[in-house]
Amino acid sequence: MTRIINHPILGKLEDRKAVPFTFDGKTYEAFENETIAAALLANGIRKLRVHEDSGTPRGFYCNIGHCMECRVTVNDHANVRACLTVVEKNMVIESGKQHPNIVKRMVEQQ
Amino acid sequence: MRDVIVIGAGPAGLAGAIASASFGLKVTVIDEFIKPGGRLIGQLHQEPSGEWWNGIKESERLHQEAKTLSVDIRCGVSVYNLEKDDDLWNVHTSIGTLTAPYVLVATGAAEYPIPLPGWTLPGVMSIGAAQVMTNVHRVEVGKKGIIIGANILAFAILNELQLAGIHVDRIVLPEKNPLSGKAGEPEEVMKSLLNAAHLAPSPLLRMGSRFMKNGSFRKIGMKFYPKNGVKVNGTPLLLRKAAIEIIGTEQVEGVRVADTDENGNIIPGSEKIYEADFVCIAGGLYPLAELVAVSGCPFQYIPELGGHVPHHSEMMETPLEGLFVAGNITGIESGKIAMAQGTTAGYAIAKHAGKDGAAIDKQLQEAVQNVRSVREQAAIQFNPEIDSGRRKMSELWESLYSKNTRENSQIKIG
Amino acid sequence: MNNNEAIVVCRCEEVTYGALRFTAEEHQCTARELKLRTRAGMGFCGGRTCRIPLDRIIENVVSNISQGDTPLKYQPPIRPVTFGTVGEKND
Repeated sequence: MTRIINHPILGKLEDRKAVPFTFDGKTYEAFENETIAAALLANGIRKLRVHEDSGTPRGFYCNIGHCMECRVTVNDHANVRACLTVVEKNMVIESGKQHPNIVKRMVEQQ
Repeated sequence: MRDVIVIGAGPAGLAGAIASASFGLKVTVIDEFIKPGGRLIGQLHQEPSGEWWNGIKESERLHQEAKTLSVDIRCGVSVYNLEKDDDLWNVHTSIGTLTAPYVLVATGAAEYPIPLPGWTLPGVMSIGAAQVMTNVHRVEVGKKGIIIGANILAFAILNELQLAGIHVDRIVLPEKNPLSGKAGEPEEVMKSLLNAAHLAPSPLLRMGSRFMKNGSFRKIGMKFYPKNGVKVNGTPLLLRKAAIEIIGTEQVEGVRVADTDENGNIIPGSEKIYEADFVCIAGGLYPLAELVAVSGCPFQYIPELGGHVPHHSEMMETPLEGLFVAGNITGIESGKIAMAQGTTAGYAIAKHAGKDGAAIDKQLQEAVQNVRSVREQAAIQFNPEIDSGRRKMSELWESLYSKNTRENSQIKIG
Repeated sequence: MNNNEAIVVCRCEEVTYGALRFTAEEHQCTARELKLRTRAGMGFCGGRTCRIPLDRIIENVVSNISQGDTPLKYQPPIRPVTFGTVGEKND
């Protein structure tokens, strides 16, 4: 995905400072005052986590903090909403992972 | 000492803060989002006059005005509880508990979801999410999208996506089932669209609207609704096609769509997959009332207003002393109404806080009148039966609390 | 229609339409009981996304309930908070 630079009514996007951050160990660039969800989408990343139990992929859904689907781990703080959190320089962001569920796996194998 | 806490920095909250602060009250505004403006900052549409309504500019103007009046605005703060002890309201937030004798709750609306197979895939988002990504963050939501659900909000945002150069391939309905409700019934959808036909995006809708308001004509109309849809600013609106599944493994790859009969029933064997890399679900809006609900305020279910709304007067008072509401939390209407209601609430708070004199009475009275006249001129009426809903609430208020109202404030409106 | 049974209604707890309808039919229960039995609406978002579809299922399945009858019951906290946040008072 890319950013919407020119807009017939809202005008041209002004130049902003680039801010480096990492997501699952890879380095990306956000712009200053950009949310994590917006910066990742601009870098082509939709999948922000998997369901803790089933492992199904999830991205942002409501984009305004209601649905909690976009929660990620930021600098070791778990469950941070990517849609409401602004990227800061050298932020370390991790996607939400599947939790081990030994009992369930055993039942599945039977 | 703080006089007022406003929860929500959208059009209602900011206007309320400005009105209260203009009478010398000390106001703090809290909002969960990264910047003030609420859903106003996503809005962008052309008025019938040809002028553009630019929500970003409007919210910047409100923000500036509030700052000039020394309103303290705190963004990125979540409120998780609201309760009163003695004369003070406690607003419990992610940065601690704030207290004040007056609270204005202006939390706006949330979107109705329409669950369907595959809607948890990355790339599926509420239509409002696409609006924020496009107009606020200026990031493309995708290269080719499909909107599921046809309503006024969907059309407004479709237009905004197109302005930003985003390709929306088609608008289809959700499959008819108990979860989609009226949103899956072509005739019901047509009915609600026709009520807003004055802002109709296509000449066919506009011309047909007078005939189609009649039930039997509408049935015939749905029967002969063009298979390839009616173009809305170039995007086909397909009232006789239903989305039955969103397809993809790691993210959205397409939508499985079937033809339907005039009642919305799937025609077997008509399924087809349309490619897409994003899907917007447009279920409409309902008042986001949870915070007022935990405060103990009584509610009434008024479908014309979008769902459960807190009991409130025309001066935006609730039955709980010191608690006021404004904006979409009181019923789904436009941002302009929210602003007018916010102003009313702000003056009402000043009045309750003991700001006496002819000025406050006059301004409060004018503000209430202004809400009515803005409503009369409203270009975007999300809910066409809004007047009857508003009437129900004011009758309810009269019957339950009118004695109270007279005690609390001496002025009579109307 | 079979496809519909598998629709995830509660995204947080991945509770399907089929499971919810079956439970509502079996127990003719209130919205509260449906949530307790299935965990729908009890996940991370606190039911903010699925609450209205849940009410719709109840209205559809249980007799003598019409739209809007479901009481508007909310409990704090309405946003997830850490234990550190709750109880602090710094005004």
